[in-house]
Amino acid sequence: MSDPRKIMRRYQNLMVGEALSNNHHYPVACNELSSILNLGYSQLPKNLKALIFRDTLSAFRLLPDMKTSAAVSAANLLLKSVEAVLPKQKKNLAIVEFKKTKVALKRRSKSHEEDIDLPSLPQDILIHIFSFLDVSSLLSSSQVSRSWNQATCEDSLWRLQYDIHFNHKALIRIQSGVSWREAFKNAYIGDNSSKDLRSGRGYCCYCDSVVWHENLRCPNKQCRLKSDNEPLELMSTRQVANFLLGTMSSSDDESDPDDEASRGLWAFTLY
Amino acid sequence: MLESDMAIITPEMMKSYIWLETADGSIQQVEQEVAMFCPMICQEVVQKGAGSSKNNAISLPQRVNPAMLSLIFDYCRFHQVSGRSNKERKLYDEKFIRMDTKRLCELTSAADSLQLKPLVDLTSRALARIIEGKSPEEIREIFHLPDDLTEEEKLEPLKNTMDDPRIRLLNRLYAKKRKELKEREKLKAISMSQSIEVEDRVDERSVDDLLSFINGRDPKVVKTSKSKKKNKKRKEHKNGRSNGTCEASEKDSDNLHSKERNAKIVDESASSLGGVSNLGSMEDDILTPKAEFEDGYIDDEFDPVLKEMLDREVEDFARRLNSSWVLSLGQERQPVHFSINGNGTTRRLTGRAGLARSS
Repeated sequence: MSDPRKIMRRYQNLMVGEALSNNHHYPVACNELSSILNLGYSQLPKNLKALIFRDTLSAFRLLPDMKTSAAVSAANLLLKSVEAVLPKQKKNLAIVEFKKTKVALKRRSKSHEEDIDLPSLPQDILIHIFSFLDVSSLLSSSQVSRSWNQATCEDSLWRLQYDIHFNHKALIRIQSGVSWREAFKNAYIGDNSSKDLRSGRGYCCYCDSVVWHENLRCPNKQCRLKSDNEPLELMSTRQVANFLLGTMSSSDDESDPDDEASRGLWAFTLY
Repeated sequence: MLESDMAIITPEMMKSYIWLETADGSIQQVEQEVAMFCPMICQEVVQKGAGSSKNNAISLPQRVNPAMLSLIFDYCRFHQVSGRSNKERKLYDEKFIRMDTKRLCELTSAADSLQLKPLVDLTSRALARIIEGKSPEEIREIFHLPDDLTEEEKLEPLKNTMDDPRIRLLNRLYAKKRKELKEREKLKAISMSQSIEVEDRVDERSVDDLLSFINGRDPKVVKTSKSKKKNKKRKEHKNGRSNGTCEASEKDSDNLHSKERNAKIVDESASSLGGVSNLGSMEDDILTPKAEFEDGYIDDEFDPVLKEMLDREVEDFARRLNSSWVLSLGQERQPVHFSINGNGTTRRLTGRAGLARSS
């Protein structure tokens, strides 16, 4: 018994469409659209179907601006969902849009000029830049080159990450000789929610909505103050889709890996 | 008259300018309030009174080039005006930051050297947004960075963050020196025992056993080293050159093998050296090695033709190897050479090198 207006509002609050223009959130937003399509497109009210369709088209249109392979595979996945779920007319429109995008992508990759060497950034600037990154980007950066790797070893960065992730646990074991990087690593491995970090989504009980978290906290300043700056409860993409459709089930986590695995297979069978 | 004079004096003329010089030598002047927005320039003006004239221009750090300087001053010019709202400033910033990655890096560098923290933050955040969510390969592509980490290093953090490549080199040099000291001690022990005739043979054999064991090439090398030793004792000065070579090469083959160097090169140069020496002393050797055959070493290659062929090949190879090996030795051993005077080993090495080259 899902009130169509309620669902519509929930979807708008999710801000999936807005997230598509963000480089970092684009793949996740595409996955969310895929999930929603797969799980319950047919049950949705008509206006919401149109909205989702519009967002799907804009996802395809925005793909060339995202210069990552993660974006490309997420878009491919979305296409697969489109082919499986959407009715004929809409499906064809979406496919046309996707093909246009592919052409634009190819054109872009060909006209890529070779720039002259960039000036190398000094270590302290690198460290400053890294202080704005999330954990996964930080770890990616550590694998880029020798100088970047050394910059990521800076312990203050890891203290920052520790505070972001584990502040609420208040297990401030200041052991001498243990670097913050090690402390973070141990706490991270022990923590079970590492999988959900990828989704970029969390549930804020103060504004009662699913948000794109900023450093694991609600973007809304009020909520941050109310919660005493504690991290949000993270949600996986599948949970987000279920939240929208009104079917909350915690057992979804078990079926998640299978779903993701099969989705992963699909991604490889595309054009 | 005064009034007309007053009319000519425009507000702009009342502004004071600060003179700045970039690393490439070009000098320009900027309005004072704009330039003073940068802490570094402000400091120079206040503390040292610089920038008041063309001759007294403030020299800017190397990372600031004229293009970046004008960008920075655009930024300063906008922000130092007090009447703007936060929203306006934010909007300006968002537009300002839209440039390619290369310029963004340059701008960050320049702003940092001028200590303009708000601009550094702005550009750093922009760069962080570029890095976010990308794989290492993609990041490398965008920033044109080399892929200079080994697979293990990628998974584990580099052990020593204070690691200077020079320190690493130094450690390697120390390790080498320690090894060489050990080898020299071994050599001394061997050469001491070799002076006694009886023990010689015992020692020879043990050394030769080692050689053959290491080489896996029993007959040739063992025989040649034995014959070399015989030559040394009986015909010390007959075949001057070849004997010298023999002497040197014999010592060297010991040196080589006991030094645990790159085994292959060592083996080949040892055998080749043995080969070279044999050219000269072949006739003399025919009888003497046969005496040694009691040990049971059967040498097939005593056929002169075959031997000559082999020796020729080996000699070429030796020459090639020697030159490159000696070169590398020269590079690595430089410190060792100079610090040890009158060391027989050292002298012999250079002697052999000279001989090898001349042959």
